[in-house]
Amino acid sequence: MSARRVGLLVAGVVAALLPALLPHPFVLTLATQAVVWALLAASWDLLSGYTGQVSFGHAGFFALGAYGAATATKHADLSPWLGLLAGALLAGLVGLLAGFPALRLRGHYLALVTLGLAEIVRLVAQNWLALTGGPFGIHDFRSFPGLPATALGQRQAVYLITLGVAGAAVAAMLWLCERTRAGQAFRAIREDEVLAAHLGINTTGWKLLAFAVSSAGAGLAGALYAYYINLVSPVVASAATTSLVIGMAVFGGLGTLWGPVLGAILLFGLSEGLRFVGVVYNLIAIGLVIMVFVIFLPRGLAGLRSSGPGALRSSE
Amino acid sequence: MLDTVLEFAIQGVVLGGLYGLFAVGLSLIFGVLDVINVAHGEFFALGGYLAVGAIALLHLPAGAGVAGAALGAFLLGLAVYPVLIAPLKRRLGRRPAGPLYLVLTLGLSTFLQSSLLAVAGGDYLQVQSYVRGILDLGVTAVSYQRLLVLATALVLLLGLFAFLRFHRLGLAVRAVAQNPDAAQAVGIDLPRIFALTLGLGAALAGVGGALMAPLFNVYPAVGFPLTIKAFAITILGGMGNLAGALLASFVISLAEAFSVMVIPSQWQNLIAFVVMIVVLLLRPQGLLGRARTR
Amino acid sequence: MLLSVEDVHAGYGPLEILQGVSVGVEAGQIAGVIGPNGAGKSTLLKTIFGYLRPTTGAVRLDGRALAGLRPDRVMRTGLAYVAQDGGLFPDMSVHDNLVVGGHTLPRRRAVRAAADEVLARFPLLGERRRQLAGSLSGGEQRLLALARALMTRPRVLLLDEPSAALAPRYIDRVYETVAELNRGGLALLIVEQNVEAILAVAHRVFVLDLGRNAFDGTPATLRGSDRVRRLYLGEDAA
Repeated sequence: MSARRVGLLVAGVVAALLPALLPHPFVLTLATQAVVWALLAASWDLLSGYTGQVSFGHAGFFALGAYGAATATKHADLSPWLGLLAGALLAGLVGLLAGFPALRLRGHYLALVTLGLAEIVRLVAQNWLALTGGPFGIHDFRSFPGLPATALGQRQAVYLITLGVAGAAVAAMLWLCERTRAGQAFRAIREDEVLAAHLGINTTGWKLLAFAVSSAGAGLAGALYAYYINLVSPVVASAATTSLVIGMAVFGGLGTLWGPVLGAILLFGLSEGLRFVGVVYNLIAIGLVIMVFVIFLPRGLAGLRSSGPGALRSSE
Repeated sequence: MLDTVLEFAIQGVVLGGLYGLFAVGLSLIFGVLDVINVAHGEFFALGGYLAVGAIALLHLPAGAGVAGAALGAFLLGLAVYPVLIAPLKRRLGRRPAGPLYLVLTLGLSTFLQSSLLAVAGGDYLQVQSYVRGILDLGVTAVSYQRLLVLATALVLLLGLFAFLRFHRLGLAVRAVAQNPDAAQAVGIDLPRIFALTLGLGAALAGVGGALMAPLFNVYPAVGFPLTIKAFAITILGGMGNLAGALLASFVISLAEAFSVMVIPSQWQNLIAFVVMIVVLLLRPQGLLGRARTR
Repeated sequence: MLLSVEDVHAGYGPLEILQGVSVGVEAGQIAGVIGPNGAGKSTLLKTIFGYLRPTTGAVRLDGRALAGLRPDRVMRTGLAYVAQDGGLFPDMSVHDNLVVGGHTLPRRRAVRAAADEVLARFPLLGERRRQLAGSLSGGEQRLLALARALMTRPRVLLLDEPSAALAPRYIDRVYETVAELNRGGLALLIVEQNVEAILAVAHRVFVLDLGRNAFDGTPATLRGSDRVRRLYLGEDAA
């Protein structure tokens, strides 16, 4: 078994046993959030790093998932399990629709249009009081049913649920990218879209798929976020969220999917750790990390394992 | 009715001047370096803070405050190319950059914004108007402060256009934007022009921040909403096209100002983004077309 | 030897295009470089002028090493370069293109004087002084590119396929000017696809093939060799 597989297995086991290893509500809350970020970063990487369609609007899909889930549970009285589905589907659908016009855009323009879309989502969330609760957001909706009564028990259960759902989602995305024709198409599109089209690859279809899957993943992360924190507000759609996600992906390694997962967990941990030094320094550190990594380690942590021109396009 | 329309028109025009300072700088940087400066808003914020610092803390006159803001932002902008962009360029060599420059300036934006927060705190700051008094136009009135903002913006932008059009160094800047290889062939030092361009763009944004300080609040994140709106404006005008950026600034600001007649005011900000998306889909080259680049 | 290129290897990343090329231009001489497509002719000029860094080998002007200098430094040593596409600034007027060409001249007065001098040589351009360079015809653009390169009175002029895509009328004009400039003392290194044009004016011709020197000599020597005529001059041996 390759070193990477062993590493992943060990990580998975540790992650699953965390509630038993470190039974503190605070630690588990942080761990839950880290898992959410990991899913968010991986889903962004699928579209932007792996398929090369750089989006600056990921926060928008995150917010759609969060608001979708919260609204579904609060207003339609749906079970949170269905809420997760609702959030993911809503974000995925909007992502698919956004994918159509985005087909024509490349590079800067795609990034800016997606940024604009996310801003629109944020503005709607902030100003449409009846639908979204305005600046205060939505807060009185229930979380998963059948949770233990104790605070610690609740946190443990929520953590495990989040880990399970997010883990499954990331695994599914990895499978899609590494083991199916979709993944081959994504890589071809990233390398040279014109050539891919000439080779008969249906770039339109695959790009739309990437948009849909990526945004659904972000929506799922948003829904999980909603249920663990029990509050959604317009802040989740801010550009700061996108910035953080991109930082995590760059740190971990663009285009690898598992790199951003690692990057998210590490960077989140760093960020929370620095919070003890001073609330503001964590963002300063994130900014520094992004700049330093982009210049000196553009392939992120994942790139440290391999070197040489052959590894520039990473996918193992 | 006329007085309301006039009031909106004035508001739109003044805001347009502010947007213009910001968007023209952004467009200039893109035209010359082919880099979208996501951190542009932080130059604006820095300008605001420098003005507040000079005027409220050091009790310097308003003019010194604005000049200090311009200088401070200029120096920071000058540093961005050699410190951040040049190293990335060197490492990339001939490889396509993809999203890397965008991500780099995004990191810079995060770093600068949170640094401002760390140094200056998160409070909303403000200074008094640089000029007091109101100009009575009969039907309506406009404060001298707002007129000052507009006048300064127009003078500076005119100065920039004249510089680019007539001065030898300005010609060099345009040359680099149009054909960097040929610019090198005639002896133009590219890194110097890149740094200068970033400095100029930053200075314009910094002045904008200083001018805005008496009208709105200064806080670390004040520049970011403006940055993303400026993206919309530059796309509307044609990326890299300075006259287009200026025109689009007024189009957007007037649209926003008059929009309150038909939609609730909190939806004003949506206009720019909706326009941007429509433009990108229907006429990506913008109103005046993309400036011809490589 | 005024400009010498010695055993230069250069290329783009892993792809090596020049595999040990040597050429030389004496003062007051016109040297031509011909060869099939892909031979590395344009790459040679780009390497001399500094757009590419040679991996090994030397480039010298008057004995002074140029390899590794950036183009804007190279041109200050007295070289000038006209790219294959002319390298003009399309949204600037003819006049402004020339002014930028004089970027390294110290005073505005010197720039104006140089522009006047250059426009006197090309009255055609003088008439179109205020016109945007991008709106000129192909031939006019080529002449403007030539004019701009002359603004700083270079010692050696590098031309990359000056006759490419030009009407015969303009090809003649270009080569008339080349001959005139050479009589005035300017040395030139000209890469050409149009073999007849270059053989008519060059003192020495280098033939490049697949990144290496294949032949060099005077035009007469080239024409005298059956092999060269057949392979590179496009004539049948018999």
